[in-house]
Amino acid sequence: MINPLMTGNAPAADVQDLESLGICALKRGQYFSSMPEYYVDRDQAKCIKCLVCVRQCPYEATFYSAEMNIVTNRHENCINCRRCEAMCPTKCIRIKRWGSGFRPNEHWTEKHIRSLYKQADTGGVLLTGCGNDLYYSTYFDRIVLDASQVTNPSIDPLREPMELRTFVGRKAERIDPSGNGQGKPSTQKFPNLVCETPIIFAPMSFGAISYNFQEGLAIAASEAGTYFDTGEGGLHPNFYKYGKRAIVQVASGRFGVSADYLRSAAAVEIKIGQGAKPGIGGHLPGEKVTAEISRTRMIPEGSDAISPAPQHDIYSIEDLRLLIYAIKEATEYTVPISVKIAAVHNVAAIASGIVRAGADIVVIDGFRGGTGAAPTIIRDHVGIPVELALAQVDQRLRDEGIRHLASIIAAGGIRNSADVVKAIALGADAVYIGTAAMLAVGCTLCQQCHRGKCAWGITTNRSDLLPRLPIDYAAERLSNLLHAWSHEVKEMLGLMGLNSIESLRGNRLKLRAVGMTEEESRILGITHAGI
Amino acid sequence: MKAVYPIATRCIDCHLCEIACIIEHSQTKSPVSAHFLEGLQFNWQLSRGYADPAEAKAAVRPSPLSRCRVSANSFRFISTMCRHCEVAECVLACKNGALYRDASGRVLVNEKKCIGCWMCIMACSYGAITRNIDRQNVPGVAGNGVNHHCDLCPNRRTPACVYVCPTQALAYEER
Repeated sequence: MINPLMTGNAPAADVQDLESLGICALKRGQYFSSMPEYYVDRDQAKCIKCLVCVRQCPYEATFYSAEMNIVTNRHENCINCRRCEAMCPTKCIRIKRWGSGFRPNEHWTEKHIRSLYKQADTGGVLLTGCGNDLYYSTYFDRIVLDASQVTNPSIDPLREPMELRTFVGRKAERIDPSGNGQGKPSTQKFPNLVCETPIIFAPMSFGAISYNFQEGLAIAASEAGTYFDTGEGGLHPNFYKYGKRAIVQVASGRFGVSADYLRSAAAVEIKIGQGAKPGIGGHLPGEKVTAEISRTRMIPEGSDAISPAPQHDIYSIEDLRLLIYAIKEATEYTVPISVKIAAVHNVAAIASGIVRAGADIVVIDGFRGGTGAAPTIIRDHVGIPVELALAQVDQRLRDEGIRHLASIIAAGGIRNSADVVKAIALGADAVYIGTAAMLAVGCTLCQQCHRGKCAWGITTNRSDLLPRLPIDYAAERLSNLLHAWSHEVKEMLGLMGLNSIESLRGNRLKLRAVGMTEEESRILGITHAGI
Repeated sequence: MKAVYPIATRCIDCHLCEIACIIEHSQTKSPVSAHFLEGLQFNWQLSRGYADPAEAKAAVRPSPLSRCRVSANSFRFISTMCRHCEVAECVLACKNGALYRDASGRVLVNEKKCIGCWMCIMACSYGAITRNIDRQNVPGVAGNGVNHHCDLCPNRRTPACVYVCPTQALAYEER
C-alpha cells in the first residue's frame, strides 16, 4: 500500500473516486456511504495547509486539493479516530456528528439503521472491533464499597505495609503441621504465578495488535512484576526473553504452538472462548499475515489464519482433561495451566468441570471483553456480564469445596481500579485488562481494529503505521497505569481496613448494591446498601 | 558538539519537524499568523524540490523554508538536517568563506558572503543543505540564492524539531 501522497500529484487518484467523480450519489450499493456519520469541521481560517492530517489519516478521509489549494475531507470515510485532531498543529479540526442524524427513534436507533444500510449494500456480515458497546447494565456501577469508621480502624497505605502480591494457581489441600519431622509445617507445592499486583494484561495476539504494543506489554509486565498474555497468535522469537512474564495461549487454531513455546512461558492458557465472541472462532485475514506474523504463527505468509469455533479435540470435560494433562506433561508440571472461557449461561457448572479437569486457573471473560475482529451482532448480543458469572463461579466452587484447586481471573470490561477491587471482592484472584491497556497507549475506541490500519499504531502491523506507537512509550504508559491502579487499590484496601489483597478476595461483605433487584443481589451474593 | 540525529525506525512521516522549523524561524512564531500574515508555506507538496529555481520563482512557488526535510520511500521515513560535522566538508568546500564554524561548534552561514555557487551542496554527504532563493547576493544571476541549513535554533534550549517530534524520532545529543 503506497502512500498516495508519495506518488506525486493529487492524493485523490484512487479508482473508486475517479469513477464516482467525487460525487456521493445515492446509487446501488452506496446508501451507507452517501450518509456520512461524522463531519470533519475544519476551520479554514486557521488551516495552514501543512497536510499533517492528510498524512496521518489511514482511512483516506482527508485529502489536499492542489488546484484549489485547500485541505478537505471525504466525510463518509471518517470513523472518528481523532488522529487528525490530535496531530493538527493549529487545532483547526473538530470532528462532529453529521447533521441531525435520523429522526429520533428509540427503537430504530442510528446504529441499527446504518448497520442495515451497510448490509443491504454489501450482503455481508458486519465486523467490528473492541467490546460490546450497547446499553446493558454494568453491575460494577451499581456496587459500592465499604469503608472503616469508628468501630474499626482504616489503614494508611503510605505509612503501613500493604500487600498486593497475588499467587495465581492451585493451592495446597491442607498444611501438614507435623512437617514430616522437618521442623516446619510442610505443604504440597504447586506452581503459581506470582503477581506483584493483581492486574494482568489480557490475551491480545500479535497480529491483532502490533509488534510494538505487544513488546510494550511485555516490558511493562516485567517491570511491574505481573504478566502479559500472548493471545492465540504465538510468541514472537524476539519475545522469548520475556517468557518468564508470558502466559502463552493454546487456542483452537494452535498457532505458534511448539514445545519451546510451552516451555518458555510462565503459564499456559487453553482458550475455549472469548467474551466478545463466545462460541465462534477467529479469522485473521491473509493480507494481515505479514512475514513476522507468519513466522510467529507458523503459517504461510499471506494465508488466512482461521481459528475453528470449538477446539476439535475437546468435546467434553474429559477431553479437556486430556489436553490439560498433555500440556502438564510437556511442561513437566512446572507451570500452572489456565483455561479461559467466555461468561455464558451455566458458567458455574462449566467452571466446576474445568477445575475438576485439572485446570489451575479459570479465566472468566465477560461480554464486555474486547476483540480484534468479531461479527457486530455476536459481540453485541452473546454472553453475560462478568460480575454475575464471577460471583456464581466463586460461590459454586466454594460450595463444592474446590475453590483452592484453582484461581479465578476475571476479564472483560475492567475500566478502573474500583472495578478491580469489586471484581476481587466478588471472588476473583486477579483481573485481566485489555481495553484499558489499549486506552493507556492512545486508543480512542473507534472500533476499527478489524480493518488493520489503526491510525494510532495499536492494532496494525503496516510498517508505515507501526512507528506511531514507539515501544518505549507503550511500556512507560502501561507501567504508569499499573502503578496508578496499584496505588489506588492499596488506598481502597486501606480504607476498608484491610492490609492485604488476600483479605479482600471473595469478601462480599465489603460490597453493597445500589438500585438492584433482590434477584440481582442474590445472584451477586451481596446485600443492598443500607443494611 | 550536540546536533540533531534522526532515528528512522521511529519516524511516522508527519512532517511536524518541518512545520516547527518554519514557525521557529518566522517573525510571529505562531503557525496561523506565520501562514496568513507572513505568507509562509508549510505545504510540503508545494515547497518540494524544483529543477530550476527561476522557474519555481515564476510559478510563485516559495523556497524551501524548513531547514529539515522528511524524505521517504514507500515505507521508510527519515528527517534529514545538518549534522554540524566535526570535519565539515561544506566549510572546506566553501570558496567564498561564507560557511564557518562558530565558537560553540555550529556550522553557520554568513548570508552576506554567500554567492550561491553550491559547492556546499555538492560536498554535503547528508543532503542537508538547501537553497534559499528569497535572498539574492548576485543580482546578475537569475534565481540564485544562499545557503540554507539547520542553525540548531539559537534562541531555544532544544531545537524546535526535537521539541515537537511526537515519537522522539529526533535525538539532540552528543555523538
